[in-house]
Amino acid sequence: MNTFKPVLTEHIDQKDCHTLSFYKSIGGYTALEKVLTMNPDHVTQEVKDSNLRGRGGAGFSTGMKWGFIPKDSNKPKYLINNADESEPGTFKDRLLMNKAPHQMLEGMIIAAYAIGCHTSFIYIRGEFYQEYKLLEQTIAEAYDNNILGQNILGSNYSLDVVIHRGAGAYICGEETGLLESLEGKRGWPRIKPPFPAIEGYLQSPTIVNNVETLSCLPHIINRGASWFKSIGPEKGPGPRLFCISGSVNNPGVFEEPMGVSLKDLIFDRAGGIPDDKQLKAVFPGGSSSAILTANEAMDVMMDFEELVEKGSMLGSAGIIVMDETVNMVQACLNIARFYAHESCGQCTPCREGTSWLVMMLTRLINGGGKPGDIDMLFEIADNIGGLIDFSKGSFGKTICPFGEAVAWPVRSFVEKFKGEFMEYLPQEKVVA
Amino acid sequence: MPLLKIDGKEIEIKSGTTVLQAAEANGIEIPYYCYHPALEIVGSCRMCLVQVEGMPKLQVSCNTFVSDVSSDRKVDGKYDMVVHTQNDLVVQERKNILEFLLLNHPLDCSVCDQAGECYLQDYSFKFGNAHSRFDENKRVRPNEFLGSQIVINHNRCIMCSQCVRFTQEISGTSELFVEARGYNSKIAVLEDNPLDNLLAGNVADICPVGALLSTDYIHKNRIWNLKKQPSVCQDCSVGCNVDVFSQTDQILRLTARENLDVNGYFMCDIGRYGFHRYEEIDRVLQPMVRKGDSFVSADWETAIQKTIDLIKKNKSNTAGIVSPFHTNESNFLLGQIFKDVLGSLPPITGEEITYPSGFRISADRSPNTRGMNDICEGIVEDLASKIKTQDIRTLFILDDGVDRKLDDKWKKIIGKMDSVIVLSYAMTDLAKLAHVVLPGHAPLEREGTITNDKGRIQWLRPSLPVKVESKPDWEILMLVRNALDKKTEHFVELGEVMKKMGEKFENYAGITFFKVGNQGYSINGKSS
Repeated sequence: MNTFKPVLTEHIDQKDCHTLSFYKSIGGYTALEKVLTMNPDHVTQEVKDSNLRGRGGAGFSTGMKWGFIPKDSNKPKYLINNADESEPGTFKDRLLMNKAPHQMLEGMIIAAYAIGCHTSFIYIRGEFYQEYKLLEQTIAEAYDNNILGQNILGSNYSLDVVIHRGAGAYICGEETGLLESLEGKRGWPRIKPPFPAIEGYLQSPTIVNNVETLSCLPHIINRGASWFKSIGPEKGPGPRLFCISGSVNNPGVFEEPMGVSLKDLIFDRAGGIPDDKQLKAVFPGGSSSAILTANEAMDVMMDFEELVEKGSMLGSAGIIVMDETVNMVQACLNIARFYAHESCGQCTPCREGTSWLVMMLTRLINGGGKPGDIDMLFEIADNIGGLIDFSKGSFGKTICPFGEAVAWPVRSFVEKFKGEFMEYLPQEKVVA
Repeated sequence: MPLLKIDGKEIEIKSGTTVLQAAEANGIEIPYYCYHPALEIVGSCRMCLVQVEGMPKLQVSCNTFVSDVSSDRKVDGKYDMVVHTQNDLVVQERKNILEFLLLNHPLDCSVCDQAGECYLQDYSFKFGNAHSRFDENKRVRPNEFLGSQIVINHNRCIMCSQCVRFTQEISGTSELFVEARGYNSKIAVLEDNPLDNLLAGNVADICPVGALLSTDYIHKNRIWNLKKQPSVCQDCSVGCNVDVFSQTDQILRLTARENLDVNGYFMCDIGRYGFHRYEEIDRVLQPMVRKGDSFVSADWETAIQKTIDLIKKNKSNTAGIVSPFHTNESNFLLGQIFKDVLGSLPPITGEEITYPSGFRISADRSPNTRGMNDICEGIVEDLASKIKTQDIRTLFILDDGVDRKLDDKWKKIIGKMDSVIVLSYAMTDLAKLAHVVLPGHAPLEREGTITNDKGRIQWLRPSLPVKVESKPDWEILMLVRNALDKKTEHFVELGEVMKKMGEKFENYAGITFFKVGNQGYSINGKSS
């Protein structure tokens, strides 16, 4: 049944797979050699044709993003590798950095070449200390072998790569929050417009791409856009790293084609739920996605479009599995607490609303529930992220998508497990 | 020019204008907190959300720019943008945002200094809910000093970050920053870098709520008891536009008044708190005539007669001393009386400071040096030598006021005079040397025009009532002038002096209070 051969993680079980010599032995940097003879616009076109969509969470077309870089700008262009992987339940970029750092670096050089960038940054999550040390080695190896620096591989193209460590804020994974942080400022997302491709790092055209997105690039160049497009659904094709955690026997990162069924992922790759407990709910794409009930989860393909149809999203493909023993009110509080803690505090609804949610849910759990609380939870979630009713035309009320990221899961908990929330409300006393 | 349709109203507007600016210019109120025309747009308060047709989300009007769109994208075939600021969606959203902002607000309006000029009050009244649905504990934090004159009430703060941006962008001093994150965010300073720059007072002005307070005004009064008088600061030659707030004969505070040609939206603390130096002074409120080593009070008739007698005794050896602290009109009249020898005392100076935003505190700490030089012909450069060479025996002095400290050299020069007449509002060092002291108006009581160092004529308006028997300076000078020469014209009001002044000096031709108005009038014929 599983005929798919992993692309990004094909060699991660082999000894010294992180080294340059190993990477070269499996054909590493041949895509770069090819790219350096190509017109940068053709590289962009190839990526556009591949329908590669960002693996960070938003799923925006990578080639199209590159195309927004103004051609007539005299400013320097920057490529930033977003390695600030912080979404709860997501740990794929970490694996790629540990096991295939040169694959990611090759992708970076290809992307930098395509957009005309000569200084590129890796913004790495502060807690990834081991990965940071490893990437320093990777980059040193690359410089020593003329893969970075002046006249890469004898071409006219030069590129420097700088590693910048984050300081532990979730919001710095949001691209404009990241840019502020990289500039040495407080990680407050920027209001758009202008978009980073026009005015990003130091007011210059900037592209921010995720580790996994960049890691796909050498393969697209080597095997062609049509090969890539043939994997999974045409609108969002390619291999994808799914991170499965929570109540499963075999948690981990699994590379599968886009559009794989969630049921297969949970019960086949991840080995099902321990002690044969029943599935209760699943986060399909990190903690920012709306949860799916067991029924919904058993009947869904892990594809951008299909999950949106189901009222959720593919996000970072971080799958968190909850079994029947999970208290959904507690779980909801857990999520809300995370977002209240990580809210940057810039926009009013998110700063005030996330903590309001936490206070209400805490009160509920501590036995202080009041009639009307459930309606209030809905309303507060709507007022923070307000995306729920598309027909009303109002969704997204904050500068960055953080507002939606809290409203979405919280609302889905209350909506889909309303009964459990009701149990925390005062019961009407029956007078005999 | 793009065509904008806002609440059904068609507006042609310059490309690049924001929806917020367009609405404001057309009398449509869109509420906002974090926006300030002089600061970077951050769009974080979310109060100014409006609906833009064709956009899936509500948009912050402060960062939505109107521009020409291609003909196929025009709405209804002709509009470049269609905006709704009053529909149900927007009205509801304002309620939601205000609810969030008020969750942790102490609702202590009854003891809040911002009450009456608070945007949280005003918007709650206009756009908010009548009831709170918040059933949890409020976030409570103690007040803190951010600098020696600025205190913050964290509980009232709505995190609009205007104050932080002010210290980054306007003063360039960056003392303020946001500490912690999310719900725990608060405005803070580092212990060794408090908010003590000379523009610090502005943060209390720009704070849209009662969070940032000037210790100088805190709990002094209620804003609705105060009279607000637009005027001009007189503490340096920049001439910042201000509003003077007073009750009966007491000034309580000064705030900056917008004038993009002079001070933008701000003022410095030298000017802001400068009014206090007039509070504890030895005011002269009646004409005083020297008798031996002391003064006796006299009525105006006697004092003027005495003045005339003293001047006539040495008419050809009399000099007039004009003052850069006085209005153009007073200096003009004095210059007309003493045409032969006219001068001024050494300038009063301080440090010249220019902030990164261009905001300036001038080294010349008098308000009207430019005007004085403009409308007094033949001011001598070195008055001290001139007094010697011309054998000046009598001085008629427009006193610079409490800021004038007489050095020994000038004490000696004045001490040697046969007679000295001083027009002043206080028993200054200078007035103490006089034979006659004529009681004029103090700086914040004066009316007239002054000209700033960029050549902008501004309307100095009286902010306090006249005290006892003091008279407007120009009126005293006119009395002296008429008494010396019965043939000179008699002016009944200041406007006539201005007219006369305009006849003599082309730059000032046609100047009236009406023409000068609240924003001033540039004699360079362009904004300055």
